[in-house]
Amino acid sequence: MTVLALKMPDRRRLMALSIPFAAVVGSMAIGLLLIAISGKSVPDAIEAFIDGAFGTAFAVGASINRAVALALIGLGFILAARANLTNVGGEGQIAVGGIAATAFALWQPVADLPLGLAVIVPLLAGTLAGAVWGGIAGVMKVRFGTNEVISTLLLGFVALLMVYWCVQSTALLRQPQTSSSTLPESLPIPDATKLPGLTGDPESPLHIGLVLCLLLALATAVVLQRSTFGLRLRAIGLNELAARRAGMPGSLLLVVALGIAGGFGGLTGAIMLQGEQFYLKAGFSSGYGFDGLVVGLLSRGSTLGVLAGALFFGFLRSGGISMEIMAGVPAALTLVIQGLIVIAVAGSVILVEKLEAEQR
Amino acid sequence: MEETLAIFIASTLRLAMPLMLAASGELVSERAGVLNLSLEGMMLTAAFFGALGSWATGNPFLGVGCAVLAAVALSAVQAWLSVNLRANQLVVGIGFNILALGATTLLYRIIFGGLSREEIPGLPKLSVPGLSDLPFAGTAFFQQSVIVYFGFGLILLIWWMLNQTSFGLAVRAVGDEPRSADKAGIPVARTRWLAVLITGAMAGMAGAFISIADIHTFTENMTNGAGYLALAAVIFGGWNVGRTIAACLLFGAATALQFQLPAMGIHVPTAFLLMLPYLLALLAVAGVVGRLDPPTALTLPFQRGK
Repeated sequence: MTVLALKMPDRRRLMALSIPFAAVVGSMAIGLLLIAISGKSVPDAIEAFIDGAFGTAFAVGASINRAVALALIGLGFILAARANLTNVGGEGQIAVGGIAATAFALWQPVADLPLGLAVIVPLLAGTLAGAVWGGIAGVMKVRFGTNEVISTLLLGFVALLMVYWCVQSTALLRQPQTSSSTLPESLPIPDATKLPGLTGDPESPLHIGLVLCLLLALATAVVLQRSTFGLRLRAIGLNELAARRAGMPGSLLLVVALGIAGGFGGLTGAIMLQGEQFYLKAGFSSGYGFDGLVVGLLSRGSTLGVLAGALFFGFLRSGGISMEIMAGVPAALTLVIQGLIVIAVAGSVILVEKLEAEQR
Repeated sequence: MEETLAIFIASTLRLAMPLMLAASGELVSERAGVLNLSLEGMMLTAAFFGALGSWATGNPFLGVGCAVLAAVALSAVQAWLSVNLRANQLVVGIGFNILALGATTLLYRIIFGGLSREEIPGLPKLSVPGLSDLPFAGTAFFQQSVIVYFGFGLILLIWWMLNQTSFGLAVRAVGDEPRSADKAGIPVARTRWLAVLITGAMAGMAGAFISIADIHTFTENMTNGAGYLALAAVIFGGWNVGRTIAACLLFGAATALQFQLPAMGIHVPTAFLLMLPYLLALLAVAGVVGRLDPPTALTLPFQRGK
């Protein structure tokens, strides 16, 4: 710490910001070590990783699509976090968003809508479903004082089972059973409801979700930093009682904050479905909710941080999957790396506070 | 009909056991003011190392020992982060759960690889002499794994410790009024540390129960949310041992219905039955049974003079 005692406030600030960075680098080093211990070839694994993350137009597009999903969850997370709410239910919000988007996309009148509405209506339906799912946790919080961490988690389990239910029952979204080998999945959604591609290259799965995500990131940054609503969220987050005394609608703000976070999750589910997966199946949201949560946690409330983190984890996941297929390294390794990063960042909070306090 | 009911009670007990063990352990640490969202991760880690230990040594009891050791080790890191480093307990818990899921899956693939789903030496079921032959009660209560009887002993021990000993008083004091406790000379940090370690040991038993006593193998993510149900049971139980155990039994019964109803020819969508424990837990944490106040200093790190 003696180095830090130099009178260089900017440098200290940089040090404080570099902690997540150090955590990432350290955790990835541990990841490489684990590959070596498991007796797999490290160069092979790295090659497979790079190939799967950046190697082809397909790989880059898939990684960026993944990053879009993570960024949207992360943006919702930091919005709610501004009001001191921890939304852990991303996974479930994606799930209900996916269900709603599928239901609307498969409804013929929607697929026949002109002017791109065939794409937009399912997206909105997904967003709304997610917002309701998040809002339930908000209502539970203000009416019954239920901690949102527990309620969003439990709602997540319920939502995942709802997807399972929907694709198990032909009365819901399961495709008509023509033989005993009919998979428990929905029908594929009509082409008119799919998200348009972005590059024109048929090889690349990259879709306009990216544009939507960047616009929403900009909107989030403006709302958080320049709007009354953002200020109120912050006030509620810092001191709920004082904010209420100052005449702010405290309960409503909390419900709306969790509703927006849920809406981001629902939109993510709709985008994943209409952009890449095209039909609903159990577990389609697998892991995205938690990855997005990690992205939100690490960003420390910054919109740019969310985008950077989402890109990083988007490529990390794609590379991890490729490592499993091509180099035989279980993709669970990326979970280990993520877990270590979260723990390291959470554990270094005192250090960060110390650094920032010295700066003043 | 009577036979069916007896089997239903027996499977309720079997399914509620890991929840009861984990929840009663978590209760101690929450009463001391530390929330372990990592309960799920501790159980999963224990289930893995229990299975590994039992497989490697051929002795299921040594396996239980490995499970408890692994979970206690994890809880020590949790305690260090929550108590000494004053880290956000929710965030740390989420991190641990991701890490535990990744690490157990990874190690399982590396160690067991192609031998997946290999049966491990499991704990014997103990038919209590004399009692297991009783009509009804024999089937319902006295043909369980040895851990079930031992587990009830542990839970009683926790009740006694929390309510009848000076350590229990210290635990409640540092969870409600850490500042006053500190002034009265109670070592806040040490008490919280011990409480978290007890949580770890109990989560270890819970994980061992799932892999060694119940399923007799390890599968990826085999706890599948049991840790979160245990956390919900503590809230449902109003931070009281008896009510928490009752909540666990309720969740266990809801889970047991998945097997019982189809066997009785009653057709309810499987997904709904799978959802039932979580729905009940949601109703529970919403305070349907009346609101109860958590320990005042729950999740709040303590720092002298601040």
